[in-house]
Amino acid sequence: MTDTMPQQRATAALERSALVQAYRTMRTIRAFEDRVHDEFATGDIPGFVHLYAGEEASATGVCMHLDDRDAIASTHRGHGHCIAKGVDPRTMMAEIFGRATGTCKGKGGSMHIADLSKGMLGANGIVGGGPPLICGTALAAKQAGDGGVGVAFFGDGASNQGTTLEAMNLASVWNLPALFVAENNGYAEATAAGWSVAADNIADRAAGFGMPGVIVDGFDFFAVHEAAGEAIARAREGGGPTLLEVKFTRYYGHFEGDGQAYRADEVAEAKRSTDCLLRFREHVTATGRVPESELDDVDAAVTALIDESVTQARQAPKPAADQLTTDVYVSY
Amino acid sequence: MADALVGIVANPLSGRDVRRLVARASVFPTAEKANMVQRLLSAFASVGVQRAMVSTDLGGISAEVLRAQRRLRPGRDAPWPEVEFCEPDRLTETAADTTSAVEAMVAAGAAVIVCLGGDGTARVAAQACGQVPLLALSTGTNNVFPELREATVAGLAAGLVATGAVAADEVARPAGLLQVRAGERSEPALVDVAISRAGQVGSKAVWDPAELVELFCTFAEPDAVGLSSVAGLVHPSPRDRPGGVALRLDPQAQQVVRAPLAPGLLREVGVSSARELGVGELVEIDLPRGVIAVDGEREIEFGPGQRPQVQLRSDGPRCLDVRAVLTRAADGGLLQRPRE
Repeated sequence: MTDTMPQQRATAALERSALVQAYRTMRTIRAFEDRVHDEFATGDIPGFVHLYAGEEASATGVCMHLDDRDAIASTHRGHGHCIAKGVDPRTMMAEIFGRATGTCKGKGGSMHIADLSKGMLGANGIVGGGPPLICGTALAAKQAGDGGVGVAFFGDGASNQGTTLEAMNLASVWNLPALFVAENNGYAEATAAGWSVAADNIADRAAGFGMPGVIVDGFDFFAVHEAAGEAIARAREGGGPTLLEVKFTRYYGHFEGDGQAYRADEVAEAKRSTDCLLRFREHVTATGRVPESELDDVDAAVTALIDESVTQARQAPKPAADQLTTDVYVSY
Repeated sequence: MADALVGIVANPLSGRDVRRLVARASVFPTAEKANMVQRLLSAFASVGVQRAMVSTDLGGISAEVLRAQRRLRPGRDAPWPEVEFCEPDRLTETAADTTSAVEAMVAAGAAVIVCLGGDGTARVAAQACGQVPLLALSTGTNNVFPELREATVAGLAAGLVATGAVAADEVARPAGLLQVRAGERSEPALVDVAISRAGQVGSKAVWDPAELVELFCTFAEPDAVGLSSVAGLVHPSPRDRPGGVALRLDPQAQQVVRAPLAPGLLREVGVSSARELGVGELVEIDLPRGVIAVDGEREIEFGPGQRPQVQLRSDGPRCLDVRAVLTRAADGGLLQRPRE
């Protein structure tokens, strides 16, 4: 009698270099978002921004398993997904400031940052817009047979949209290499998920589509990383789609300027006790896996990078008027 | 007992961990948990329980029970006892909510506490229920400690004990308990403690046997699912026996056991030795760093200088034996009456 199951090592300790990479990504997202929060208050950023601070472990824990074959689709709250998938924070900052040096030449802004060269299909202005896109990339990967997967991040609000439910159905029917990551931060704008999500847990809906549904602590990088690793390996090997629900709290309002009268003190509590960066740092230093000084060096490098991105963005030109009709689908 | 009170604590998050992905475990929907609470309440009322205290949660169980209470049609639907919901200062959506609910029930004078969840939920409830008899029903994943049993029948048993129709002392058996310590952390386990080489607590479940070093069980049944099934298949030890089982595990061991580590997950586990674990025996773990899983969930990370210790104790929770209660009900004709 032999053991035919493949050896699964998802729970094994990560190498030091991977731990530092995870920390750098989460720290970069946090520093980027905190800085955008400050810069937005100056009035120099056009349009809306929706900040990802507090949710870093999700994008990081998922995207660390992805490579150039893979594509992700994002949400309004897309900066973290962009950074985790390898988009340059300097061009992202320029994009948010509406500058010609931005990821999308300054014409998209925060909610439309996309970098196809990195497999980042875009933040999305449409709630529930991402999951159908992922069915397309996952189908392409399946046809090409290259082992690529498509990952759709979406929120608790989008979990109630028909597009999301249709995409999960299609992914299951076609057995697509897809991962649906429901980022449940408790509120769709100001509407509580506990009130608006009929099944109470988004993951429970997976049963209706014949796919596994799992809930993980979204503040815990390791929990997300383990579960996402299993789901992505399963998708790559032809096992089909998975619905992964990560639960956490966003640290800022739905958008910058949101008065947040709908929620109490959960942000302060989360920052104090469950914050992903605090917990990660505590774990890797207490277990001796990464020295404190190395993490301090990462913090300093990230601060310098974000300073540089803002300085460069502010100095960069805005798109020229004659660029108004370029990069659009309709030819004028 | 004129004013019998029974507590019901239900974990909204049980039955949803990563084992639905790495194994073939089922989701236990919130609606079904709320249904079970309602079936318990009907059964309580039918044997004369007048008050029930139900845990409050943000996962939708208590909300559904409240809605059902408002929809009850007098004379048509089975009556309920008077239901009060726990009113904690705050809900954390963690195990602390189970603890505070059980503590509130004990403080309110509950005669029996019914717990809906998996092994993890029962473990938390057991820590808080003191000497109040516990009836653990399965709505989780591995469910070695809680029973897979119809809530209506469990409700009859809990009600008969709460009203004093059946004496608790005759039908509640004390369970064993494993206490594990590492550094400043101390946790009890009702079923098993596994010492693992995993890198972190992470997604909590244990599904890779190659990482396991030692396994301790309060009891070991050959027809169990979960880590204790490994012990159950090589060194069975029934629940009602005071001693437990200790196994040394090694992927290179000469003897391998094919065991159901989770629903749908049959893995071969190398067992290098198996022996009885005596009550009171203190075992020191000789591993420089690793993770300790209690009742199938990784809970404690330890490193150098935090040498873990495991001890089997006999003072676990008092568990209601549903079959024993209903056997006494049958013998005493407690659910019979002559037609008027």
